[in-house]
Amino acid sequence: MKLEQEVLVKNYLGLHARPAALIVKLLENAQSEVYFTCNNQTVNAKSMMDILLLAAKKNAKIHISVAGDDAQPVIRQLVQAFDDGFGE
Amino acid sequence: MNSTEEDIEVRLKGSPICAGIAIGRPFFFIYSDESVPEFSIENSEVPEEIARYRRALSHSEQEIRRLQKQLEIDGALEGVNILDTHLQIMRDPIVTSNIEKQIEVTRKNAEYIFQTIIKSYEKKFNNLKDKFFRERFKDVRDISRRIMKNLRKSASISLADIPSNSIVFAHDLVASETAETKKSQVGAFVTETGGETSHAAIIARARGIPFVSSVDFQDVQVGKNTYVIVDGRTGEVIINPRESTLNYYQTLQYQLDNQIQSLQKIGGLLPETIDGYKVKLSANVEMENELELLHQYGGEGVGLFRSEYICLSHESFPSEEEQFRIYKNIISAMKGLPIVIRTFDVGGDKFREFLNMRNESNPFLGCRAIRFMLREREAFKMQLRAILRASSYGNVSIMFPMVSGSFELLEAKDILKEAMNELDKENFAYKSNIKIGCMIEVPSAAITCDVLAKECDFLSIGTNDLVQYSLAVDRGNQSMSYLYNPTHPSVIRLIKMIVTEGHSNGIPVSICGEIAADPRFTALLLGLGVHELSCSARYLPIVKNAIRNTSIVSANKLAERILVMSDAQEIQDAIHEEYQKTVPCDLLHNHA
Repeated sequence: MKLEQEVLVKNYLGLHARPAALIVKLLENAQSEVYFTCNNQTVNAKSMMDILLLAAKKNAKIHISVAGDDAQPVIRQLVQAFDDGFGE
Repeated sequence: MNSTEEDIEVRLKGSPICAGIAIGRPFFFIYSDESVPEFSIENSEVPEEIARYRRALSHSEQEIRRLQKQLEIDGALEGVNILDTHLQIMRDPIVTSNIEKQIEVTRKNAEYIFQTIIKSYEKKFNNLKDKFFRERFKDVRDISRRIMKNLRKSASISLADIPSNSIVFAHDLVASETAETKKSQVGAFVTETGGETSHAAIIARARGIPFVSSVDFQDVQVGKNTYVIVDGRTGEVIINPRESTLNYYQTLQYQLDNQIQSLQKIGGLLPETIDGYKVKLSANVEMENELELLHQYGGEGVGLFRSEYICLSHESFPSEEEQFRIYKNIISAMKGLPIVIRTFDVGGDKFREFLNMRNESNPFLGCRAIRFMLREREAFKMQLRAILRASSYGNVSIMFPMVSGSFELLEAKDILKEAMNELDKENFAYKSNIKIGCMIEVPSAAITCDVLAKECDFLSIGTNDLVQYSLAVDRGNQSMSYLYNPTHPSVIRLIKMIVTEGHSNGIPVSICGEIAADPRFTALLLGLGVHELSCSARYLPIVKNAIRNTSIVSANKLAERILVMSDAQEIQDAIHEEYQKTVPCDLLHNHA
């Protein structure tokens, strides 16, 4: 199953180290392949380094794409985390 | 380090750690961002190289977790969070699989691949327009330094494609690096610090590799193609030697080789003095493959098997079965000769990391050796069970390290008894009258050795630690090394006392510290009443030669004379002078 959704980076500092770590942690046990696209750049969302290299600031648009058996719960959790501004 | 001033001979002075002369080309075993070694590995070595990278990663993770715990205790929760992000960067699956793939494809060493990949990330971060994100690379750099440090620790020089007869320059060396070194490739070691030298030094000595520490070579220009001479007897390191210097050392090296070869012929002769006083000469051993030398040189047994070295390749305590197999093999390889297995002497500066030992401000005065094992009762019992089970395959005894008082010896014996009872129930065969020895290396044990002697079958003096604890000098601290002197009158008197007490209690006393390997000490030790010396197998011929050239009468006189001396230097001069008189042709130990 492949699901896609666009989200907005809401937290003040953007996708810096802490939110990136949270995302990676969240995806640790995910079976699905997860990719983020921002400013025409697509990266593997399970890689902390790649997320940081997106350099996504506040209000940046991230296109999430999740493909795999657990795509549904995974994308739900991800969107939730973005919406919460990673608790910041 | 460029060779700009080709013609100038530079002489550096350090501390001599292992005697011998080496002449060769320099090889820098130094890890900074700029000079990570790059070398090729065999296809068959790829899995181990990848495993080495994974171990470095997992060590780094453990370190971070320990740091986090410390920060939590200190209430620095912000730091805990930062380290959490470090952990995630470290675990980045893309980076890891990328590194592993590259090792496999390029067949290069892990450090080089790791460095290359981190550099490529650095470039990507530098290209970011946003300063805030650009600076996130700082975290990456911090982590990669840690991983590199741990990689370096596990690096085996032997893996390196280093040219044969290289003079290895390093910041410092740890025991594992030295242990894995191939003699044919390394001509000598030159290190800047003494940090963890002591154990690296023991192994360098066992391998007979000249070693000079505390050499400040950072500001010296050493070209790749210049010659370097290392004089491990005096601690001199000569870079860019003049023709005349080179000739001098080439001749000396040739003479030394001859000396060593002619000494090896005495392998079959008895270790007894001119007037027929017989000494027992045994070997200190870390690994089974050293037994060949022991048999070749006519060693009469293993006086000290440093069992903790079997943990080196396992990075933890091996299982009972694994240990049983190792002990059984080595006991069988003794061909009937006796072997003393010293239980794990971990802690201090040895193997702290993989045992997850707590940080202590003073590890040498902390939880090491018998103290640690009494705390890790199950692991201790496991080792004792393995030794007991192997005991039916030959002549083995057990020795406990770092005992500071009788209660430790008694508790260790209790656990041994427990292990025996268990084995009885499980119907395992073992030698029930196995001999128990106690190491005397702590002053409190030395002073009360009459008490300890009543509780065991033999005593063994570990002079390396006895010197360090008696004189309150850290043996790894180079700036204090001028005080670390085994010829200090207190040490000589303690040895005399232990030997006397042991004998009046009817049990043998041996010496298994480094001084047993130094032929200049031999006559003095015989004169003090020592019957058994145990040293690295490599030194058996030279020590045997010293024994065979002295008489017990003159040894006794020497000891008497020395026991009333008041100063370490005076004693050192006296034993050197005596040795020069009895064995004038030893170029290795007689020098200005």
